[in-house]
Amino acid sequence: MAEGQTIKTPELSNSAGWMPPASIIWALVVAFVALIVYLSSDFVLLLLLSATVAYLLNPIVKIAEGAMIKRKVAVTVIYLGFGVAFLLTAYFVFPRLRTEVNTLSGNLPFFSQRFDEAIDALQNQIVANYPAADSLFTTREVRYEKLNNFIEQQVADLPALLSHLATIVLAGVLIPFFSYFFLRDSRRIVQFVLDRLPANHIETSVAVWCEIDRSVGRYLRGLAIEGIVVGTAAALGLAILGVNYPLLLGVVTGLANVVPYLGPIIGGATAILVTLVQFKSLSVIAQVVVLYLSLKLLDLVVIQPLAVGKGNDLHPVLLIASVIVGEHALGIVGMVIAVPTITILQRIAKLLFERRRYPTQMLDSHLNNRVQSQPYVC
Amino acid sequence: MARWRWLEQVTDHEQVLRLKLLGTVPLFAGLSRRQLGKLLVKFFEREYLPGETIFLEGEPGKALFIIIAGQVSICRALNEEEELLATLTAGGYFGELALIDDQPRFASARAAEASRLLILYRSDFEDLIEGQRTLAIHVMGNLLKTLAGYVRKSQSQRNGRNSTIVEQASENPGMISKGVSRG
Repeated sequence: MAEGQTIKTPELSNSAGWMPPASIIWALVVAFVALIVYLSSDFVLLLLLSATVAYLLNPIVKIAEGAMIKRKVAVTVIYLGFGVAFLLTAYFVFPRLRTEVNTLSGNLPFFSQRFDEAIDALQNQIVANYPAADSLFTTREVRYEKLNNFIEQQVADLPALLSHLATIVLAGVLIPFFSYFFLRDSRRIVQFVLDRLPANHIETSVAVWCEIDRSVGRYLRGLAIEGIVVGTAAALGLAILGVNYPLLLGVVTGLANVVPYLGPIIGGATAILVTLVQFKSLSVIAQVVVLYLSLKLLDLVVIQPLAVGKGNDLHPVLLIASVIVGEHALGIVGMVIAVPTITILQRIAKLLFERRRYPTQMLDSHLNNRVQSQPYVC
Repeated sequence: MARWRWLEQVTDHEQVLRLKLLGTVPLFAGLSRRQLGKLLVKFFEREYLPGETIFLEGEPGKALFIIIAGQVSICRALNEEEELLATLTAGGYFGELALIDDQPRFASARAAEASRLLILYRSDFEDLIEGQRTLAIHVMGNLLKTLAGYVRKSQSQRNGRNSTIVEQASENPGMISKGVSRG
């Protein structure tokens, strides 16, 4: 057919056979996912964590794919590499970490007594400097009772904690297993979904997928880099200050950093608690506070812009609101996934509204002016 | 010899074929194999059945399409009918303006026969060129050449139309005054 010729608009063929309306399919998919989440939140959490690991490793696989290496081979080599790295870490770092954990658990029975002594010493220091502050403190008996109640509560929760420990060990085995297959087959899964989407919605679907991929990938990779850098810096800083268990506290700080807003406070509070019991001195606690504030500043000014970049451009109010809602819905996990979830929803809404807005606002003026436009640019 | 056999085992031959095709696309002319590889992993692939719409005129443009196999018609609505602007085959590309602006599609694209397309989303392309200066210069240069081609083609068509009008007017002097009075 010659160019410039006019043709009758062809009927859109639908050779894939009869399909129910897209809205019904999507409603069924959403209902199915909600049912799975409701029935087995632990399994969903496991899948989410596996997908997170896959996301973190995906850029390395893409580099290999760009060098024309088979995805399966690249993923296997990466897992072998990480296995070797894990064994090396276990060989060099774990013995020291285990010593710290053993010492800490050995000292736990005396912890409440030492903590009480430390609080006393601290109160005395403060009252000696500011006598008026005496009225602010509770008596030793009241404090002792509160502390004992707290410890009893924790001991009562121990069986539940042990069952969680079993889940954690199981997760340690299952997450690498699931993430391996996620990583290996992610391209095939995306392809499967793409091939089944309505043809004229592919562009928007690809756009939505890419935005989700970018937002989540950037956020998770940023979070991982942030956790590693902040945790390492905290461990180094605490070791320099002479605080006990620097490695363990560094790990706690790095892991806690994953939780927005609350995480750095948890990390800092743990370090301050250990410092309080060890030194019973306000000046060292002040040094630890300065260390954690400096770390937060370093995180905000250097690490986040470099690692996360322009990954999330959410309004701070929306960000905090999403974290609060996430905490109410799913606890700590909800807080962690709140930010990427709200970012995804925001991007999707933006893309879909853009698609709806176009025909009404821009198409008319565009079609009216097309006489002046170029012949076949699209 | 053993080394080559080992390389053969780990190489993704389908990707190599796509890479070769990408190398023949004028938009990516001058890119090294490594740059093409980096670009290739950003693409999605989709099969279209004959007659399936790829995008419609007036929709927001978000992606570039490259034809791996098959044939795609580029059409524009003309009252109740459609004007065929071009028919593209394997190695051809369309939707390139989505890489540079936010304007709606100027024409519709439809698979004329069963076709396999590569799709590159604009933001993915922007991410790639952000850190790749040479790649950005090459692709943008090629895109400019394409646009310059469109401008020249349009200009020559307009000149051709004008000269036809002038020829017709010189043969029939009353035509211009009639045209003016009608306008």
